[in-house]
Amino acid sequence: MFIINCPFCGERDQSEFSAGGEAHIIRPKQPTELSDDEWADFLFMRKNIKGIQFERWYHAHGCRKWFNVVRDTSNDKIHAVYKMGEKPPIK
Amino acid sequence: MSESFRSSETKFLEKTIRISFKFNGKTFYGYKGDTLASALLSNGIHLVGRSFKYHRPRGIMTCGSEEPNAIVQIGGNGVFTEPNVRATEQELYEGLEATSQNCWPSVEFDIGGINNLISPVIPAGFYYKTFMWPKKFWYSLYEPAIRKSAGLGKSPTQPDPELYEHKYIHCDVLVVGGGISGVIAANISADNGNNTLLINDKSSLGGSTIYQDDQNYKINEKISSDWLNNEINNLKNKENLTILNRTSLAAYHSYNFLLARENISDHKSLNERSNQLRQRLWKIRAKKVILATGAIERPLIFNNNDRPGVMLASSVKKYIDHYGVRCGNKNVIFTNNDTSYETALSLNKKGLNVSVIDIRKNSSSKLVQSVKKNGIKIYWNHTVVDTKGYRKIKSIQIMQLSDDGSNVTGKKINLDCDCLSLSGGWTPMVHLFTQSGGKLKFRDEDQVFLPNTAMSDQISIGSCNGDFELDDVVNNTITSIKKFLDITSTSFDNLNIHCPKQKENRNIWLLPNDKPLGKTKPFLDFQNDSTAKDIKLAMREGFRSIEHVKRYTTTGMGTDQGKLANMHALGIISEAAGVKMGSLGTTTFRPPYTPLTFGTIVGRGVGTFFDITRKTPMHEWHVENKAEFENVGQWKRAWFYPKGNENMHQAVQRESKTARESAGILDASTLGKIDIKGTDASEFLNRVYTNAWSKLGIGKCRYGLMLNEDGMVYDDGVTTRLGENHYIMTTTTGGAANVLSKLEDYLQTEWPELDVWLTSVTDQYATASICGPNSKNILKKLFPSIEFNDENFPHMSFKNAKLDNVDCRIMRISFTGEHSYEINIDSKYGKSLWEKCMETGKEYNITPYGTETMHLLRAEKGFIIVGQDTDGTMTPIDLQMDWIVSKKKYDFIGKRSLYRSDTMREDRKQLVGLITDDPNEVLEEGAQIVRDVKKKPIEMLGHVTSSYFSPNLNKSIALAVVRNGKKLKGNKLYVPMKNKTINVTVSDYIFYDKENKRLNA
Amino acid sequence: MLSINYPKIENKSYPNLELSLIEPMHKLNLRGKNREFFTKVGKQLSIMLPVESNTSATIKNISALWLSPDEWLIYGKDVDKNLELSLNKEISNLNIGSITDVSDQWVIINMKGENVFEILSKGSPFNFNEFKKSKNVVAQTLLNHIDVIIHNQDTNNINLLVRKSFSEHLWLWINDSSSFL
Repeated sequence: MFIINCPFCGERDQSEFSAGGEAHIIRPKQPTELSDDEWADFLFMRKNIKGIQFERWYHAHGCRKWFNVVRDTSNDKIHAVYKMGEKPPIK
Repeated sequence: MSESFRSSETKFLEKTIRISFKFNGKTFYGYKGDTLASALLSNGIHLVGRSFKYHRPRGIMTCGSEEPNAIVQIGGNGVFTEPNVRATEQELYEGLEATSQNCWPSVEFDIGGINNLISPVIPAGFYYKTFMWPKKFWYSLYEPAIRKSAGLGKSPTQPDPELYEHKYIHCDVLVVGGGISGVIAANISADNGNNTLLINDKSSLGGSTIYQDDQNYKINEKISSDWLNNEINNLKNKENLTILNRTSLAAYHSYNFLLARENISDHKSLNERSNQLRQRLWKIRAKKVILATGAIERPLIFNNNDRPGVMLASSVKKYIDHYGVRCGNKNVIFTNNDTSYETALSLNKKGLNVSVIDIRKNSSSKLVQSVKKNGIKIYWNHTVVDTKGYRKIKSIQIMQLSDDGSNVTGKKINLDCDCLSLSGGWTPMVHLFTQSGGKLKFRDEDQVFLPNTAMSDQISIGSCNGDFELDDVVNNTITSIKKFLDITSTSFDNLNIHCPKQKENRNIWLLPNDKPLGKTKPFLDFQNDSTAKDIKLAMREGFRSIEHVKRYTTTGMGTDQGKLANMHALGIISEAAGVKMGSLGTTTFRPPYTPLTFGTIVGRGVGTFFDITRKTPMHEWHVENKAEFENVGQWKRAWFYPKGNENMHQAVQRESKTARESAGILDASTLGKIDIKGTDASEFLNRVYTNAWSKLGIGKCRYGLMLNEDGMVYDDGVTTRLGENHYIMTTTTGGAANVLSKLEDYLQTEWPELDVWLTSVTDQYATASICGPNSKNILKKLFPSIEFNDENFPHMSFKNAKLDNVDCRIMRISFTGEHSYEINIDSKYGKSLWEKCMETGKEYNITPYGTETMHLLRAEKGFIIVGQDTDGTMTPIDLQMDWIVSKKKYDFIGKRSLYRSDTMREDRKQLVGLITDDPNEVLEEGAQIVRDVKKKPIEMLGHVTSSYFSPNLNKSIALAVVRNGKKLKGNKLYVPMKNKTINVTVSDYIFYDKENKRLNA
Repeated sequence: MLSINYPKIENKSYPNLELSLIEPMHKLNLRGKNREFFTKVGKQLSIMLPVESNTSATIKNISALWLSPDEWLIYGKDVDKNLELSLNKEISNLNIGSITDVSDQWVIINMKGENVFEILSKGSPFNFNEFKKSKNVVAQTLLNHIDVIIHNQDTNNINLLVRKSFSEHLWLWINDSSSFL
């Protein structure tokens, strides 16, 4: 059970949140212009790496805001949280 | 029977409170403060159980949670019965009943003991190898037989009447362990303003120091136990310190989240327990964790080292010093280190006969000097090669060790002995440290694994960190806590500590014998009966990884999880494989550290609280009117309303017929409702639904289908335009929360530029849905001021109205195909609205119907239910709902996916209707559909998703998804069932009123 | 006349714990983020909406609870249909935010006494250590797996807001937990 530092509400138990997968996958503005492969890339391809991962979380049982988390998947350490639309504070 | 083995006074027992208890049917006595084990020993009872595989007699070996043998059934045969209780941890209470496990007919005479005689033919892996074939014997013969002989104790057969609860606690500093280092840590932490929690698995604080009565151990000129006692008293007045006794840590997860089990009434007699909590599971969040979990003593591994009366030296010391119980009259201590000499001194002080066998060649420790001074005989450089005595050890045979310790030499010496104390050194309890993700290091000099790098904010102190000498324990504890808590000085600085120091080490994992290994039984895991032989056999058979050897030999897989056995198994493997122990690693330590009851795990989550229930505002009415309920997500929904002796089928047939012939009423309050406001509300709906919304007039309703980006149907519902920039969306009952989070997701991440506000109002409104040809007449009576004609109030429109001066919204929408209205009202009026509708509709025989009839009516009309007729792989095209997919809109969620090569395939599974040849045959939902029953392998075309007997059509109807179904209309297919094959014909999926005439009827 | 039905929640006493239903109570959900929104709401309510997370502002008979950077819940004796209408007129209708009646969406249970946080800690992962020492703080969290808004008004005196359909279940759970304090 993580402690997640919601950028709006502060530190809360993981049970208040739900995970939303990899972050910074931008929905194409003109999907119809894309080939099947390009669209499939947006739709299905995820990195699922061991190590530093950028991911989305939703404070479902709190402020109902989506935000980003930088988490090391090898040890679950959360290195940073930041709001939607902000640049990752860590490369 | 008198307690003939209680030999000395001790301040830890309340001698005024004598307690009677039963063991295997016989009554015995002990005192308040005893454990079951100490009370049994005080009555001279060592033999308490039989071993798991060979059924060898086994006795109490330890005094704590590492106990492998003394596990008993507590609480007789009643509801309070509990198997696998460690007698060494169970506190004695008046009327306690305990019985031995794993023996039949009795622990004294056990038929399973025959396994011991045939043990040469049942080595490790015996069961794996033997019961492989013939296969049919497995079910008929092997499995039942093994099941009967396996298992420890009997599980209770009745529901557990006791109460358990969970509780969260948040602290700055958690200290685990109530020994001397834990007490010092808690003191310092609390004194420095930290909200501190100290948990201790014993009934009182102090660990093993609290009964250390030896003049060799002094702190500030006081005997260590007196000094510690004083410090424990100091803890009592600290405001920011919470102490939980009888609480053992079960699990240590990441982010310093820990679970601990508190025993609240297990030490009380049954009549003192009434209506009390039995156990509590603490869910602990600590900013910092200090582990002071101590160390446990290792046994020594030699031939027949498992007889009752063979114990750990430190436990023998605790029994005499703490409980005043002597474990034997002719004591022999068998050791490889100095600490066990404390046991010799304690026994000697009480006037008991004791001698020492030491595998070392000598030791210069002060303790050893004291032992010598007291005239105690020490056999240096000797080892035990055999023990005698069936139900209790009677004598031992010892021999001299060769110089390198690999062999024995000289003559065998026989020694009388009724209690053999073993000490093979100490194993730090690093289980919790590793559970939290910590990595270990190996210290060669005394062969111990120690905490190295921790994953969370924590430290290990005391003997669990490898400090075994009093001065090291205290001084290093203070130093590390200062650093850990960033403190410059403490009240414990500059303590003056005196203690003897451990001298020469000698460690031999498997002691040599004059007989070949094959002829001896050197036990490693006492509970699972695995021996050093088994480990070597496993290695000969090619097992190398410690994890594999563990599983093959079952070493360390008992309820004690190998607390005693694991290090020796590792040692023997590393020696045999010629690998350094440090590089071999350990097996994974998994939670729980000690077994938990199921009750503790579920807490109050039983009965009513097993799952959450949501109720509609009309719920009470449904209950009063004998509705049967169906669980829909967390909701309790009225399923059907049986009249008289009606069964479900009869009730549903009646409800469905009346709804079409006159009027029916459904509680639709569970549908998700989202209030949508903002200047971009229409644009937003355009983007989330497949159809177009911009042109929907104010006061009009529209059905919408929502997809995932992958083009698959996600949710559906009717959305009503209440104003220029104001809509109310309904979602499926089960999908409400997910739809809201998905919509918020798009608004917050992809389209933050849109001016749209979403507010969940599911619980704000109660909804009564009235359908049927008479629905209009009922509405007219309810709302006389509204003109209910198709011009003023057409299908798919809405009106604000007042009912008895209360605002409500009326939507003319239909999920049944009938002329139909939904009335929404503030939910506090929900029940009253329902009653009013019932009363008003009486003359039209208005009939309440539940979810089953609702499902049937919509199936007649071919309306889908998302989640029943769809499963996340159906596009709107698959559902033959092309009409709702806008071709004009540039984009909406999932649009692009509808043009992927896979979603455009023509042979996808598609929604169709099925008509059975026999109109009375109702298909089973989920049944498979095939074209050719004889073809092998049989080819599955799809499955039935909804199936009912339609009273309005007087025949069976079904919806199904079938590969290439659109083109199969009119074709014959088959539904093979267990005993027959049902013939069906593919049909249109709309069975009733295709022209939608009834909507305006 | 239509009658009003509240969930089956009656006043109850346990050792150092008083439970009661605080209904009827008008409640409004406010959403908005621009300056105009704050100014207009402030004028209407005579309260500045709290912008600090997890806090509330109470003046006279109106409490405004922070729910997120653009969402508030207001309730109190002075929150009524008239206030709702004028807020609608000034805000919803002018598209500078959203006002939604949630009076029946939420049920308010008042919990009073030294054991309030004992009960909450049996079912909530929230850290109440600082929360219970502060006045006018708000937490949206879980209690027995159910979404709740906890409004700490005064020492050991909280209003617990729970969605109506969950309220009877949560009420049973609170009573169950209170029966073995």
